[in-house]
Amino acid sequence: MDFSWDAEQQAFRSTVRNFLATHLPPDWESQAHGPGSASQSAFSKKFCAKLAAEGLLVPHWPKRWGGRDADPWTAFILAEEMWEAGEPRGGQYMNVNWIGPTLMRCASPEQQERYIPPMMRGETIWCQGFSEPEAGSDLASLRTRADKHGDAYRINGQKIWTSYAGDADTCFLLARTSPGRDGISIFLLPMNTRGITVRQIPSVIGEGDIHEVFFDEVEVPASAMLGAEGKGWEIVRTALSLERVGIPRFALATRMLHRAVDKLKQSGRFGHGAVEQAAKARAACEAARFYSYSIVDQRRHGVATGAEASVARFATVMAERSVGEFVVEHVPEAISGADTLLLAHHQRAIVAGIASGAAEIQLNLIATDFLKLPREPR
Amino acid sequence: MDFRLTSDQESLLDAVNKIALEFAAKPTEFHGFALVGNQLEQELQDGEFFDIAQVPEFGPVAAALAVERLARLPYAVEAALSMLVRPHVEGELPRPFAIVENGRPGRFVATAKTILVIDGDNVGVAHPAPDQVESVESLFAYPMGKLRAGVKTTPLPSGDAAQVRKWIRIALAAEASGLLQAAIDSTVDHLTQRKQFGRPLGAFQALRHRMAECAVLAGGVRWLALKAASTGDEGDAALAALHAQESATRVIYDVHQMLAAMGMTLEHSLHLWTYRLKALQSELGGRGGQATAIAQHVFGAAPK
Repeated sequence: MDFSWDAEQQAFRSTVRNFLATHLPPDWESQAHGPGSASQSAFSKKFCAKLAAEGLLVPHWPKRWGGRDADPWTAFILAEEMWEAGEPRGGQYMNVNWIGPTLMRCASPEQQERYIPPMMRGETIWCQGFSEPEAGSDLASLRTRADKHGDAYRINGQKIWTSYAGDADTCFLLARTSPGRDGISIFLLPMNTRGITVRQIPSVIGEGDIHEVFFDEVEVPASAMLGAEGKGWEIVRTALSLERVGIPRFALATRMLHRAVDKLKQSGRFGHGAVEQAAKARAACEAARFYSYSIVDQRRHGVATGAEASVARFATVMAERSVGEFVVEHVPEAISGADTLLLAHHQRAIVAGIASGAAEIQLNLIATDFLKLPREPR
Repeated sequence: MDFRLTSDQESLLDAVNKIALEFAAKPTEFHGFALVGNQLEQELQDGEFFDIAQVPEFGPVAAALAVERLARLPYAVEAALSMLVRPHVEGELPRPFAIVENGRPGRFVATAKTILVIDGDNVGVAHPAPDQVESVESLFAYPMGKLRAGVKTTPLPSGDAAQVRKWIRIALAAEASGLLQAAIDSTVDHLTQRKQFGRPLGAFQALRHRMAECAVLAGGVRWLALKAASTGDEGDAALAALHAQESATRVIYDVHQMLAAMGMTLEHSLHLWTYRLKALQSELGGRGGQATAIAQHVFGAAPK
């Protein structure tokens, strides 16, 4: 077991850090824009295009799609550095982590030619049309319908809590083509299609982060379907397993914990209660880090990851929670505007257990698939 | 980063596992507080397993994995201090090892040949004669003993003392990792078999979620212990020990709740793991002690 970075990994991390130092504006950390705000989306397109030009947007993708087949550690080091820097890629991190790879696996050649090149050039934003007012954790009960009319599907329904929808070019949409889990299909839907209305939901998470999306007689050609009809659930389950350890939240949480502790030390306030709480939070961050690394290590060696990914995700949620609670108790002025970066982290951290699926669903998976406890009756 | 074991380490752990399997079950007739593994001790001694950390092909990570594996047994054996701390004390000191902290009873003290005597920031080494130690009755599932007054203690230089404290933390975390996992495994068995309200207890979400959280904590302790064993870093050691003691606090309560009255009996094995964990909770100042070390080594606060 080797817990150190090899020379190549260290060099890659330095390259990414140098890139960030060169291309992030000097006032980047004092900008209080939300992760899905118009200003952030516009910035992400310029920033990701530069990343792409340097070969740093999708290094782990195949050569054919602008990558260099780099190993999963490269992708994860990149993700750590980006998230720790406040995720300047905005919503485009989803393209890199799972939307692109899912299209490579399941999309038709025409769909791949249409959608992957703009992703690998860093110039397009996607949103995920998953949750609905009546289908959150119980995603398979979604009601948005896609009815076939000749060579087209007509989509009617509503999505909610949709991140990045305000500026998204394309929606990765789950819709129902028939009853049951086998009746869920995926559509790659341009957001400028007639009949789509997006409404931002004001939130504590920050400007532009969550939205309602309404579909009123939205017509798409049958060629917009990803994979076969009724295979949506299968495809999305695999895609979301990539997302479970997709965001290295522990990286920014650790940095913010040290930032908060430094503030306390400077003002002589790093005393008994704070020391113990900070130490526990730091341990939680470190546990989340190595859980996540263990998943990357499994991917690196071609081992299928199962419920361990849920364990890693839950450990990350606990780490975010402990840092968030530390800041609120010991550096509360950050929440009132005294530190834009701590505030931005707080806003991201509070959704750690909610975004990409409620953490309690992960606990169910851990109980059943990891501990092998008897299933709950349904 | 590469978390695979070398083939040497794998063979070593297979060998440890083979021995461990002989001692996997508590003898049915045993109803005591601490199940002392004298025969297990002998087998480990015969196979020279207490020296594996010093063998370059194995190293401290393999030793930590062995400590963890042995801690999952219902038997208590002095492996953690011998395997992980002893290599860092000057001289070829005889084992078993024990710790006496601030004059309190400690695990394995009555049979130890070398005792690490911790008094505040000072660490000394003592080799007591048999009449200078005595056994102590305790709920803890280690054989507990205390040191009589007047035993000669040789103080360690402060650098060596820091080294010893660091490896005690790593040993504690590796042992706690195995104990936590065994306690959870035992509880999962109970929740799978025991039926109430017409279904297994493990099918109730309120219990499932708590057990899942316990599993997350236990696995975290394991990763931090292995990392600290690998880096030998002061901060990593303190983080591992803190996470172990913090997780023990939470997990012990939950697993005893799940087993309820059954877990209170000496017929069931649960206490053999939880009451070893409870003994580890206070070591090196408990959570506050580890936090102070973390403040210094991780957050760069001035040493106390």
